[in-house]
Amino acid sequence: MSGGGAGRHIGRILIRAIVTILMVAVLNFILFRVIPGDPAALLLGGARTSVTAEQMEAQRQNWGLDRPLFPDQMVDYLTATLQGDFGYSFKFRGRHVAELILERLPATVVLVGLAQFVAILCGVMLGLYAGWRRGGAIDHIVTGASLALYSTPSFWLGMLLVVTFSTALGWLPGYGAYSPGATIGSLDSLLDHLRHLALPVTAVALGLIGQYVVVARAAMSDVVTEDYMVTARAKGLTNGQMLVRHAFRNAMLPVVTLITLNLGYVVAGAITVEAVFAWPGIGGLTVEALNARDYPVLQGIFLLLGASIVVANLIADLAYGLLDPRVRQ
Amino acid sequence: MSESIVQYYPRSRTRAIKAFLGQFLGHGGARLGLLCLVFFVAVAAVPTFLVGPLQTAINATGDFLMPPSGEHLLGTDEVGRDVLNLVVHGARISLVIALLATVISLVVGTTIGMTAGYYGGRVDVWLMRLTDFFFVMPSFVLALVITPVVLEVMGRGGEILGFRPSLFVIIVVIGMTSWAFVARIVRSQTLSLKERTFIDRARVVGSSNSSIMVRHILPNLVPQIAANGALVVAGAIYVETSLSFLGLGDPLQPSWGTLLSLAQRAGAASAGAWWYLAAPGVCVLSVSLSFVLIGNALDDTFNPRRRVIP
Repeated sequence: MSGGGAGRHIGRILIRAIVTILMVAVLNFILFRVIPGDPAALLLGGARTSVTAEQMEAQRQNWGLDRPLFPDQMVDYLTATLQGDFGYSFKFRGRHVAELILERLPATVVLVGLAQFVAILCGVMLGLYAGWRRGGAIDHIVTGASLALYSTPSFWLGMLLVVTFSTALGWLPGYGAYSPGATIGSLDSLLDHLRHLALPVTAVALGLIGQYVVVARAAMSDVVTEDYMVTARAKGLTNGQMLVRHAFRNAMLPVVTLITLNLGYVVAGAITVEAVFAWPGIGGLTVEALNARDYPVLQGIFLLLGASIVVANLIADLAYGLLDPRVRQ
Repeated sequence: MSESIVQYYPRSRTRAIKAFLGQFLGHGGARLGLLCLVFFVAVAAVPTFLVGPLQTAINATGDFLMPPSGEHLLGTDEVGRDVLNLVVHGARISLVIALLATVISLVVGTTIGMTAGYYGGRVDVWLMRLTDFFFVMPSFVLALVITPVVLEVMGRGGEILGFRPSLFVIIVVIGMTSWAFVARIVRSQTLSLKERTFIDRARVVGSSNSSIMVRHILPNLVPQIAANGALVVAGAIYVETSLSFLGLGDPLQPSWGTLLSLAQRAGAASAGAWWYLAAPGVCVLSVSLSFVLIGNALDDTFNPRRRVIP
């Protein structure tokens, strides 16, 4: 295996990632030009905000809206996007989109991160076990339940959790990230935050567990029928040794890749869950932007989701190359 | 594999179909899925016959947010509409959206995958680059930003082919953003099919490229398309439900997702109105699960590699 081959492989992956992000940005550009009305007025907040003629003219020049659409305006748009200038929100009184998104991002990262952690811990373990003991009673129960979870929209699970644990039992809060009037930063507020996290995290995690069980089980099922497992048994290894030394490591390869690739779907699923719990993250922002037809914010979110998906893919591709030398050839 | 002498008997085709059905229906999941689907399709076919016309705030028959009773089997919503009535009418809308979106997705995916695989070379490279983009970007994320813009351009009034514009847009957008998976599978299958002898024979007798693709390659792709089509439907239901839940559906033609959205806006969860949100969700879950089970069973039946492994 020559170093040049690996370099070329990484180069190809990088180019593909950049092309995909560019396509996301170009799609954003096209969509924005398709909306009826003067783009300058739209960018400055449509008819919903009062803008003076000078401001309008200044922005028109600033964005180069007096120049031809292609290539000038598109290149300008892409440059501005690269510099983190995503335009101004309609709804939030002309605030920078990037600023709005950054403000909401931590809440989503916490929610998605915790849910991923729980889902990986439970889902992968259960799936690997089900695949190892294929055809057993636990396998049937776990597989059936995970197929059902896989087919269930996670926001609906969230609504059921609210009805059960928040409304009927009154155990956990089902709305927002903090109780009203809490001083953020104290230990009490942290505990309060964790209590608010419990239901949304469960909802997102349950949706993911279904998928991870299915994937991990399939990976393990493939591994247990491999020749090297027969060899391992012939060598006289115990079940536990076979599981740890051979099966686990080989089954984890596709699982790790799929978990990484899955990131986009996780964030997308979290959007609807956040809507259920009025969670102050990207999902909540998406819903507000959708209801107000706040296109710059929507497009900023689209760009963020696109970029995170592409980065996740990049990591998965590179990791796969590192873990499995066959891919590099 | 000996495929040099394959004689064609109409009888062997019926036998093949019988063998296929036997194997397919041997899956408990497939039977359950089919049964469930038949039920929902029957309900969706004659909603008015079953529960009367779709209720609106004007002709609502019940009190506000009443729990299930003899009169309203699934309770009522925040304006007094019968939830059973809404769910039954929602079945038709949800199923039609999901199935039409799937048809679009399968047509686009098959065309692109087959063209790329058959012609190869530069066509293949460019088509697959396009496919990569749609493969990487989830349909839901794309639809989230495309749907409102297209709606703004088209306006929300009137009807297109019997659908409210928002539903029509959702169908097309889901269909146009969820084909990449199909295209990849069809392409790889086409790559192996075009090397077979019967394609060479067809070319020798003078069949054109398009006739070879339609008459010789396409029929051999049906198993893969069918197995993945079932999974595409499940995906389409998920995307439609999520989009409608976020408020992109149409309240005048409410799908299950729109009902969940209305329940959320009415505060059904915090009011403890479990019947209002349970009913549409259970329907989504059952239909989606049925398609997943059927898809898995089809995949099992058609995939010879899996058949060897018990």
